[in-house]
Amino acid sequence: MGQLFTSAATTAFRVTIVLFLLAAAGTGVLAYIWTRAGSSWNIGKPANQPVPFRHDLHSGLLKIDCRYCHSTVERAADAGMPSAQTCMSCHSEVWIGATVLEPVRSSFALSQPIIWTSVHRLPDYVYFHHAAHVTKGVACETCHGRVDRMPRTVKTETLSMGWCLDCHRDPVPQLRPRGAVLAMGSGPHAMDLPDDLRVFYREAFQRLTSCNTCHR
Amino acid sequence: MARGAEISTTAVAEVPLSAQFGAAWWIALIVSGTLVLLLGYTLVSVALVGVGMWGVNVPFVWGFDLINYAWWIGIANGASLFAAVLVLRRHDLRTAVNRFAEGVAFFAVICAGIFPIIHLGRPWLFYWVFPYPATFEVWPQFRSTLTWDFWAISTHAILTSLLWYVGLIPDLATLRDRARHVGVKRAYGIFALGWRSSVRHWAYHQRAYRGVAILVLPLILIMQSVVAFEFAVTLVPDWHETRQPLHFIATGLAQGLSIVLLVAVLLRWALHLERHIDNHDVELLGKLVLASALVSGYLYVDEIAAAFFTDRLTRDALLNRMTGDYAGLYWSAIVYSVLIPQLLWLRLARRSVLAGIVVGVSIGIGVWFDRFSIIVGGLQTDYLPSTWRTYAPTLPETGLFLGTLGLFATLLLLFVRFLPVVSMFETRHDEHLEKL
Repeated sequence: MGQLFTSAATTAFRVTIVLFLLAAAGTGVLAYIWTRAGSSWNIGKPANQPVPFRHDLHSGLLKIDCRYCHSTVERAADAGMPSAQTCMSCHSEVWIGATVLEPVRSSFALSQPIIWTSVHRLPDYVYFHHAAHVTKGVACETCHGRVDRMPRTVKTETLSMGWCLDCHRDPVPQLRPRGAVLAMGSGPHAMDLPDDLRVFYREAFQRLTSCNTCHR
Repeated sequence: MARGAEISTTAVAEVPLSAQFGAAWWIALIVSGTLVLLLGYTLVSVALVGVGMWGVNVPFVWGFDLINYAWWIGIANGASLFAAVLVLRRHDLRTAVNRFAEGVAFFAVICAGIFPIIHLGRPWLFYWVFPYPATFEVWPQFRSTLTWDFWAISTHAILTSLLWYVGLIPDLATLRDRARHVGVKRAYGIFALGWRSSVRHWAYHQRAYRGVAILVLPLILIMQSVVAFEFAVTLVPDWHETRQPLHFIATGLAQGLSIVLLVAVLLRWALHLERHIDNHDVELLGKLVLASALVSGYLYVDEIAAAFFTDRLTRDALLNRMTGDYAGLYWSAIVYSVLIPQLLWLRLARRSVLAGIVVGVSIGIGVWFDRFSIIVGGLQTDYLPSTWRTYAPTLPETGLFLGTLGLFATLLLLFVRFLPVVSMFETRHDEHLEKL
């Protein structure tokens, strides 16, 4: 009887083993890259909205204060979405007949909220408090990007837990003076951060990174 | 090993190569296969519904899941420690028992590994205990027993499967050469990895086999201690004791040896391997089981003695295990794992198939009761009287346990059907020594 396996079969067997190991390593590398790619976190991807609202017009061109619509951002966990009344305070005067604003008008007439699609939704096991951040010097722009230049609202950061922790582990370089929190294109404190703040955040490290700060 | 007259390994090789295997094997496979289906059903239902299906609730967050994990891993540890020592000492008992002792260890690791994963509640996220560069930028908590379980079980699975497989390679080559159909030859040939029995092959093989055996040795002590530490590091009075690792290692060894004895007498009887697993082997195994049962007995006495020299809370906790709601488990553990094995003092019992089965099963049951008594009975009267409750397993938990028994039996049956249950190359080696 001849050989059980030809030499070609033996070579194929060895090549398969090597290929299998390479594929396993490759899968790991691909998974590493893919989970960090912006597209995996919907960065830059606009959602389908009932009304084609433009932040670049309202916030950028017209310079309406963020808090005019997101009225609870300095007081509550939720920044707050504007009711139809808020929209109608202007749109009862301007763009009265525009068809794109039809959902706003019917919402106002029927007292039914507009169903917006959330762009920055966090998982329900994350406790995020807008006021806690905004009143302590974390600017809108730090997490939401240059909203004043967005024709359609998109994510600019991953909002991954690692991204949160990057700041929670060392918040000082990200903080702004209180007056600049709502401003767009303004920089962080840089060199003039008060010393007592530095000391405070060095000590707050434990609290800011403990599990139950965000997972309650 | 076989003594006296010349012995051929053909009888061992012919078992997996035979075309027919009889109705008994099929019936056994169908029964155990049904239990594997039950295992699948309970696993899927727990994954879909959640661990609320189990009887576990505060303070008993560990119930059947940990009891059965600790029990299975004890079998794995005892059997692989035994096998590794035999390989390293080149003891002649290894020819008879090593192959299936290593197999038993590997199958038990598989059964053990199921429990810590399914008891996570979200078993599909089990890889979170592995330190990989996750996007949430947090490493696993190394003070958590979950992480210890991960490292212990994965290391255990790798080493026991290696020990088993490395030992199998020359025998797979024998099966390849003896098989009659070319398809069967190829199947065994692939797993024999081109073994040609050259001197160089044998030299490498010995080095690899003994090398893995050396790695197994410390692993088993560490592994069984890890299981014990999962209890000892807590503040529960009955668990927080330094003697815990010793208790787990000793009872685990008795458990592993008893399962090896059980499988040995069953294989010897069912496959007519009286010459390969001879009277001397079974008797030696019986003596080892007896000795390990005596050590377990000593540790029970030690536990009682230690309780008298320790603080009141620890003593009360032990007294509660002895006299409380779960007292039956405590005393049954002693009866089954220490007293019944004393049967093996009799030469007649050491050579009897029935006694081998009785003692093998009895120690298995006894240690299971012991784990139940420690995990549930030990926790029952904690510091908070308001949480003094009782725990009883629900039907899904029991199904899960029966399912792993079925999985173990299925793997064992398939092993018996397709692989040589006795190490042929070691038998040939020892026979060669005798001739010199």
